[in-house]
Amino acid sequence: MKKLIIGISVALVWLVASAAFAVLGTNQNTSGDGFVVLTVKEDSVKDYNTMPVFKDLANETGIDVKWIYNTSAQYSNNTDPVGIKGIDAIYHSGFSNLKLYDYGRRGRIVAIDQYLSSMPNFKKILDERKDILEALKSPDGHIYSLPRVEEMGLKAYPNILYLNKKWVKKLIDENKLPAGLTLTEADLKDGLDLSRNEFKGILQQFYANDMDGDGSTSNEVPLSFVTGNWQGNEADLIASFGLPENREHKTIIEDKVTFTFTDEKWFNAVRELATWFNSKLIKATSYTQGDNDFLAKGQDGRYGSFYWWEKNTVLSKELRDDYVIVLPLRNDDDIDPETGKGRRYVGVSNEQEIEKGECVILETCQDKEGLLSYFDKFFEPIYSAQLNYGSIKSGAFLPEKVNGKLIPNDDHGNQSADDFRMKNAPYGVVYLTEKVWEESVEMESRAKQRLEDLKNYVKPYSYENAKAIPNLNYTQDELVTLNVYESSLSNNVKSWYVTSVTNGGIPSKESWQNFLNTNKGSIEKVLEINQAAYDRYLAATQDK
Amino acid sequence: MAEKALVDESFSPEQFEEKPHSKWEEWKANFKRRGWILLFILPALIYVIIFCYIPMYGILVAFQNYMPGDQIIGASTQWIGFNNFLTFFSNPNFWEYFTNTFLLCILGFIVGFPLPIIVALLLNSVRSHKVKKGLQILFYAPHFISLVVLVGMLRLLFDSGGLIDQLSIRLGGDANGLKLFLSPEAFRPLFIFSGNWQDFGWSAIIYLAALSGVDPSLHEAAKIDGASRFRRIFSVDLPAIAPTIVMLMILSVGNLMSCGYEKVLLMQTPGNLATSEILSTYVYTFGLIGGQYGVGTAAGLFNSVINVGLLVIANFTSKKISGNGMF
Repeated sequence: MKKLIIGISVALVWLVASAAFAVLGTNQNTSGDGFVVLTVKEDSVKDYNTMPVFKDLANETGIDVKWIYNTSAQYSNNTDPVGIKGIDAIYHSGFSNLKLYDYGRRGRIVAIDQYLSSMPNFKKILDERKDILEALKSPDGHIYSLPRVEEMGLKAYPNILYLNKKWVKKLIDENKLPAGLTLTEADLKDGLDLSRNEFKGILQQFYANDMDGDGSTSNEVPLSFVTGNWQGNEADLIASFGLPENREHKTIIEDKVTFTFTDEKWFNAVRELATWFNSKLIKATSYTQGDNDFLAKGQDGRYGSFYWWEKNTVLSKELRDDYVIVLPLRNDDDIDPETGKGRRYVGVSNEQEIEKGECVILETCQDKEGLLSYFDKFFEPIYSAQLNYGSIKSGAFLPEKVNGKLIPNDDHGNQSADDFRMKNAPYGVVYLTEKVWEESVEMESRAKQRLEDLKNYVKPYSYENAKAIPNLNYTQDELVTLNVYESSLSNNVKSWYVTSVTNGGIPSKESWQNFLNTNKGSIEKVLEINQAAYDRYLAATQDK
Repeated sequence: MAEKALVDESFSPEQFEEKPHSKWEEWKANFKRRGWILLFILPALIYVIIFCYIPMYGILVAFQNYMPGDQIIGASTQWIGFNNFLTFFSNPNFWEYFTNTFLLCILGFIVGFPLPIIVALLLNSVRSHKVKKGLQILFYAPHFISLVVLVGMLRLLFDSGGLIDQLSIRLGGDANGLKLFLSPEAFRPLFIFSGNWQDFGWSAIIYLAALSGVDPSLHEAAKIDGASRFRRIFSVDLPAIAPTIVMLMILSVGNLMSCGYEKVLLMQTPGNLATSEILSTYVYTFGLIGGQYGVGTAAGLFNSVINVGLLVIANFTSKKISGNGMF
């Protein structure tokens, strides 16, 4: 009996003690001077405390910042990162509009606009750029986070169609090109001009023949993409039907916020995609895979064609020259009488070049002016560039400027440019605008290449009068309503679209109209709120 | 009469009061003697209090505009009445999620509840002890496969490029194969049958235990009366485990609307959303990932209230029909 009581008591003491230690264990050591900033980074990224750019910042400002970090998995498991004891700010906070506002109005994160006197660079940006000011404002008019502004003009067009020219050459050699299509080897270069039906014919041949010469016709992937991904999605294939499609099916046409999926052209595109799917030109993996799976398969040269925003990350080194850029596909249903050929269209994505929520300062920070004056330095071109690509001292840029500009160093030995950047660049709060690219920092050669490709092969075909939806500023009521209606609507669109393409049949017009009718209320509400917010945005950015 | 008077005289009220005959006194005496036995329920009691009752105050979040770090009861609490419920009910997909949850759970129950009973009865009738043990191990081994591994196996078998997909193409079926993971129609069968495959053997254990308590003499008597093996299952075994069946049924009905979100989330693809988005995945994605804790809690509370309602109805019905019930 005594033993039993002792046993139970010991177990209880142990339980209580371990619970107490667990609670105490979450408190960080806050002793010492300077600031402690929590950042979200993976283990493979170098320790911020040893990065030369932060040492330079400390030397210049005289402010000592100690960086502690969470991996993104740890961070996303923490429901209340603002509650972590002993930190002054969170870098890469990733807070959404609603979260920033919720924390802000509870007074748990700092309204940065009240400290602009200690932030000359940020103040200047807000004075000069009303669109940035509008983007950062919360419903109560305060600014609760520092932004990331990286204006390269790359995000608006995140899909380029690449075609395996080696396979096409094989078709030419074996006389297997689809009927009506004449191509010579000389045509197989970047900027290949094809209509959608011609492209479909090529894909059919890719599917029917053993293109990679391994004795089997089953492992070729005629066309691949990652549905719903921010880049490399099938939006431009749908856009070829004559509408400015993007992954959210939402865009601005002549200052009106519009859903593309309510357009009959969109429905026709889905019908066509379903026939492509049924003929195995698109495999089901395009609708189930994530980008890692997609990239892994590209390395073995199994793709006949694919959408991605550049080809080097998709293909292994030896395969890169085998693929050429195809111009946006010509619409066979919309012939331009002047040329006698189909017209071309691409949509504009809504990916933002101004991102909010990059860094928040906690109310518990003892010297807010001090810490904000430190972060203010991040907006200077010399620091923005190093934060975005890696420190000069670690070899991201050449040690000497040329004509007053920082020149990126393309030689990283055995490392690829991507690997080097992943390890050495902290990213986050930066301000890299057109002016900065002109005056202070030279773009990386691969970014220049991409811009060149977009300029030559994509941008000229952008749907006339279509614009991306900017960072809109919603009221609290609008945020709450959007939260409910937009998420359920996007679920429904995704579900109807993917099911219609992949269920083995061809969707009927009736099913599309039923789908629109069922979602009529949500469609109207979401459009109305977005339109109101966009009108306010126009008024705010154009008046001043 | 005289006899009666005699008895009455010997019965003095004082005597009666001195004797420890009241229930309370009896209980006290009993507690003094055997009260230490109650210590055995202490760990379970502590567990229930800490993990089931204390967290219940979190229900209040359903009536607040809450975010982590707020006090649940305190000066900073923002009470908003039933707004979270209104937000939840006004979701245009509410009925779809509700129906999906209900169908997934009820179909799972219809298939999954009788299966272990049948298996237990059959196993119990196996003559060879070795075969019985062997089958039993074979049946309950899948229980130990983790959910993630199970869904991984399902994808290898049923996803595009998987075994079934390949087989259907080779056997001359639909040229595009069977993309079961992209099909809303296939989601429920896949979910329910994989779940039952995993758990039918394990759930049968409790019935087997109940069956081992059946008096062998009943079987002998039935045999003498000429009852066949099949007849004995119906007339001896089944009535013997009926109270267990009823008890487990009431418990299952009480959980009818909780299918768990982990496996559903793991099996969800953009193609099967029409059937695979259920209340608990909505609570997870909208409430936890989307940071709408109040709405998430309201949805969870709504689900629990339905469960309690079902539990009470099941208990009442079962008491009426069979006389067996929990409370």
